[in-house]
Amino acid sequence: MKHKLPLLSLAVAVSTFVVPLLAHHGNAAYNYDKKITVSGIVTEWIWANPHCWLKFDAKNESGEVTHWIVEASAPPTVSAQGWSHNSFKPGDQVTVTMIQVKNGQAIGRFEGDVILNGKPFPPHDNGSSGNPKGGPKP
Amino acid sequence: MSKCCVFSAILLTALLSLPRLLHAQNAPGTTEQQAKQQSWNNGPPPKKAYVGKKSAPAPRRNLSGIWNAAAEGGVQPKGVLEYPALLPDHPQDDIGEQPDEGKISHPLPYTPLGLAALKANKPGVGVRAVGPGLVNDPVDFCDPQGFPRMELFEFRVLEIAQNRNQVLLLYQFYDNWRVIWTDGRALPDLKEAEPRWNGYSVGKWVDDYTFVVDTVGMNEKTWLDNAGRPHSGDLTVQERFHRVDYDTLELTVTINDPKFYLQPWQALNKFVLHRLPDDYDIQEFFCAPSETADYNKLIGNPASVETPQK
Repeated sequence: MKHKLPLLSLAVAVSTFVVPLLAHHGNAAYNYDKKITVSGIVTEWIWANPHCWLKFDAKNESGEVTHWIVEASAPPTVSAQGWSHNSFKPGDQVTVTMIQVKNGQAIGRFEGDVILNGKPFPPHDNGSSGNPKGGPKP
Repeated sequence: MSKCCVFSAILLTALLSLPRLLHAQNAPGTTEQQAKQQSWNNGPPPKKAYVGKKSAPAPRRNLSGIWNAAAEGGVQPKGVLEYPALLPDHPQDDIGEQPDEGKISHPLPYTPLGLAALKANKPGVGVRAVGPGLVNDPVDFCDPQGFPRMELFEFRVLEIAQNRNQVLLLYQFYDNWRVIWTDGRALPDLKEAEPRWNGYSVGKWVDDYTFVVDTVGMNEKTWLDNAGRPHSGDLTVQERFHRVDYDTLELTVTINDPKFYLQPWQALNKFVLHRLPDDYDIQEFFCAPSETADYNKLIGNPASVETPQK
């Protein structure tokens, strides 16, 4: 009996150091039931596999800045939708519609409309992935 | 003499400047410039682009060309096209966490060994989708897809080239390629030949428009599809390429793995590939380990950590 607590502590410590991987073809980390829309200033646009991602800073009413990372589909997929490696540049003003990860971190997936510097940008289409709730194309 | 040299120098300078002068007339944004930009990194047209399109007859014993596999659903995100790992009442939805595939629309004929192997594979999609941190899909780590998964997941654009002894298949996803030997050689003795990611392939024309490929010797590190369907080292695959007409190629892929499946089954059945223009430039699609590591560091891992909802 007296060993139970140390063993439990060890188990917690071990599980803390096991780094999980989000399958980039998986959907379970995201809340598909709720879309959110966030505006901010672009800090970086990465054109990469398995997915591209956009970093931007959003400021709330009290001036606090949140650093968002929003993933898009792979370059060949978003290319077909009119996106490119130079679609976004630091300083651009964006408004992004996305779904957010369930754990509440500032990580999302593009899901629909995008506004870039006040003008509509080609929406991010997840539709043909086969998931009506917005499962991403790989 | 010196006048002649000066004249020649002026003439030469003018001739050398001509292309630049001509180019200056095509400043960025002109039609010509746009046309040039569009000649690189092309994307495959959707299915609707091919509706009602007429075609010339098929050439004899010729598969050469660039082919669009994406239009008819070659990406196959939920498992092979003929057997997606989906429930009848959720025809497109990842339900996940189901113990097996017993209730999917088109169940596969697993042997007990095959079923055990299936359960060891933890996909991120389909009826057996598992949560973050539990997926063990080798492709998520940039492992090669291997054959036949390269035709059963992310099958987008395929270029086919032929020479006297080979048919070469160049796949867009992960910039992978295979060699099909057509020189009459036999498949290797698998007691001697090392297992390969893509196996060993030989092909032959069974008629003027049908090319049949047999492949053996795949290693056991790969999945068959994105839903985690397993295969053993005994797997053999037969591909049947049928050139319907100049613009249409049909592909049937038959899986034969008696250790894991009770009978052979068709993962693709007369799957249609549409011919793309000869000047179609295939966009590269590498899996770069450094990019994947960045993705996991910035997005995958933080998204997977279970912390209380804010």
